Amino acid sequence: MLAYFIEAARVLLANRTRSILTIIGLIVGVATIVSVQVAAQGMAGAVSGIFKGTNANTFFVFPKSTQGNTVRAALKLSDLALVQQDVPGVASVIPFSRRQSIVDAGHQRVRLRFGGESDKRFSTSPLAAGRTLDADNVARAAPVCVISDNALTRLFPNAASPDSVIGTSIYVGSRRYVIVGVLGKTKIDTAALGFDISNDVAIPWTTFYNDYQRGSSFFGISVLANQSADLKTMEKQTQALLTRTHGSQYQYFDFGFFAQTINGFFAIVGLIVGAVGAISLVVAGIGIMNIMLVSVTERTREIGIRKAIGARRSQVLLQFFIESLLLSAFGCMTGMLLGVGLGAIVDRGFIARISGVTGGIPWLEVIIIAVGFATIVTLVFGTYPAYRAARLDPIQALRYE
Amino acid sequence: MNDRPNVVIDVANLTKTYASGELQVQALRGLTFSINRGEYVSIMGPSGSGKSTLMNVLGCLDRATTGTYKLDGIDVSQLDDNQLAEIRLKKLGFVFQGFNLLARTDALRNVTLPLFYAGMPAKERERLALERLTEVGIGARARHKPTELSGGEQQRVAIARALVNDPAVLLADEPTGNLDSRTSSEILALFDRLSDTGRTIIVVTHDEGVAKRSRRILRMLDGVIMSDAPAGAPA
Repeated sequence: MLAYFIEAARVLLANRTRSILTIIGLIVGVATIVSVQVAAQGMAGAVSGIFKGTNANTFFVFPKSTQGNTVRAALKLSDLALVQQDVPGVASVIPFSRRQSIVDAGHQRVRLRFGGESDKRFSTSPLAAGRTLDADNVARAAPVCVISDNALTRLFPNAASPDSVIGTSIYVGSRRYVIVGVLGKTKIDTAALGFDISNDVAIPWTTFYNDYQRGSSFFGISVLANQSADLKTMEKQTQALLTRTHGSQYQYFDFGFFAQTINGFFAIVGLIVGAVGAISLVVAGIGIMNIMLVSVTERTREIGIRKAIGARRSQVLLQFFIESLLLSAFGCMTGMLLGVGLGAIVDRGFIARISGVTGGIPWLEVIIIAVGFATIVTLVFGTYPAYRAARLDPIQALRYE
Repeated sequence: MNDRPNVVIDVANLTKTYASGELQVQALRGLTFSINRGEYVSIMGPSGSGKSTLMNVLGCLDRATTGTYKLDGIDVSQLDDNQLAEIRLKKLGFVFQGFNLLARTDALRNVTLPLFYAGMPAKERERLALERLTEVGIGARARHKPTELSGGEQQRVAIARALVNDPAVLLADEPTGNLDSRTSSEILALFDRLSDTGRTIIVVTHDEGVAKRSRRILRMLDGVIMSDAPAGAPA
C-alpha cells in the first residue's frame, strides 16, 4: 500500500506545476474557512476578555419602556433597600448613575464618563495608587473620587506618577471632589469597540445621588451579586419583587446577554462564510476531478502499458484514487496552515489589539475541517476519474496516441 | 492436467468476430496450432491478416469468440478481466514496436513495474530488475529515463521488463519496427541469445528479415494460417 503512495507522489511531483495549479482552489477554499474559524475563536476570546474588565456578577433592572404609567414604574431610593433585603445573594444595590461631565483639574477641562459606585467594586481594574471607595465614604456621601488611568492622563498630563495626584481635587461644575485612588490600565480598551462599561471618575453613589439625582427617580438599578450567587435566579426574583411593589413591568440585562448576542452574531458570520467556503470547495473539487480526468486521458497509453503488464483494475483504480487523495490532502493541509496563519494575523493584529486577549487556535476544529474536506473531495471527485482509468480497455489504450 | 507437458501454447478452432455496427468482421477464422516450450516462432502476414488480433488473444489482452486457448496448461478462454491480468502478470512478457516505457520514469523503475503489481518488496524488485537490465546489456544505464536512451536501449529496457517476471512466453510485436538496421540486428541478436537460453519467443512481424531469424514461421492471411513451416523453408 505504501508503494502506491510513493508511486502516486512520484507521478504528482513529475507534474509539479499542474499538481499545484490543480489544488490552488482547494487551498484557497480551506484557508478561507479555517481563517474565519480562527478569527471567530479570537473574537469569542475577545468578548469574554472584555467582560473580565467588569464584575460579571452584575445585572441591571429597569422599567419596561412600553407601559403606560411610567411614574408608577419609576424606581426610588426605597427600592434599593427592598432589593437588598428581600433578594438573597445581593452584595450591593445602587442606582444607575452615569453622565458625561466636563471635569476640571485646574489646568485641564475634559469631558469624561462620570458616575456613582458603591464600595463593592463593579470594576475589576487594578488599583495603581491610593485606595478604592470605602463603606464610610458611601455612608457619609463623602466628596471623594477614584479616577481611571484614562482620566489621569487626560486631566494630569504632566503627573509624575499616579501617587502624585492623590489628595488633589477635581471639579465638576462648582462641586469639588478629592482624589483618593487611581486605577491602573485595563488591558481592554472598550471605547475602541464603541461602548463603555466603566467610569473615568467614580464617586460614592450616595454622593452622586445627593449632587445630581435628589428628588428625581432613577433610570434603573445595578445589582452586584455575591460570587456564589446564581445571577439568573436573582434577576427573576428582583424583577418579581419590583413588579409586586410597583404593579409595573421591569426588564433586566447582564453582560452574559451581551456576550451571547456578540457570540451569536459571529456564529452567524461563521455559518455564512462556511456556506460560501463549502461552495468554493465544490468548485475546487470539480477542478480536481477535471484535471484528474484530463490526466487519465493524457495517460491513456500509460494505463494501457500498466494493464498489459498485468495491473488489475483495482490496482489502477487505487493508483489514481491515491493520486487524488494526495492532491486533496496536500491542498487541504496547505490551506489549513495558510488559514491558521491568516486567522492568527487577524486575531493578533486586530482583535487582540482591541480586546487585549489573544484567542487560542482551535486546532481540533481546524484539523477536522481540513481532514473532512480532503476526505469528501477525494471520495466525491476522485472516484470517478479513477473508475474511468480502471475501466480502460488495454488494447484501445495501447493504440492511443 | 497437462497431457503434453512440452506444449506451452495450445490453440484449437480459435475464432474472433468483431461486431462493427451492422457488419460482422471475422478477424480469426478457426486457428489450430501449438507452440512448444523453448520455440522461437514468427507470425507473419500483411495488415488485415489477423496477426494483431491473434497477438492480442495470445497475449490475453483479448478473448477469442469461440475455440479454446491453453497457456502453460491453463485454459484462459473463459477467464474474466482480473484473471487475465493475473495471467499477463505471471505468464507473459510483452515487447512492443513503440517500446511503451513509462515516460519520466527511469529504466530500473520501468523494469520493476510488473514486480510492483505482483506485490514484491521494493529491495527485491530493484535487485531483480537490475539483474535483467544487466542481462540485456544496459545495466549501466539503469538510472536513465527513456528520453535519455536511444531507441535500441529503450527496446532493451522493454525486453528486460518483459523478462523480469520470468514469463512462460515472450511476445514481441514488431520489435524492430522503430529501429534502424544496425540497432535492429543487435535486438535480434539478443532474441537469438534468449532463445538459446531456452526462452519461448513469439514475434509478430511483416519483415521477412526478422522472421528468418526465428526457427518457425506461421504465415497468416484473411484470418487463417496459410503455412506453418520451419524458417528457411520456401514460403
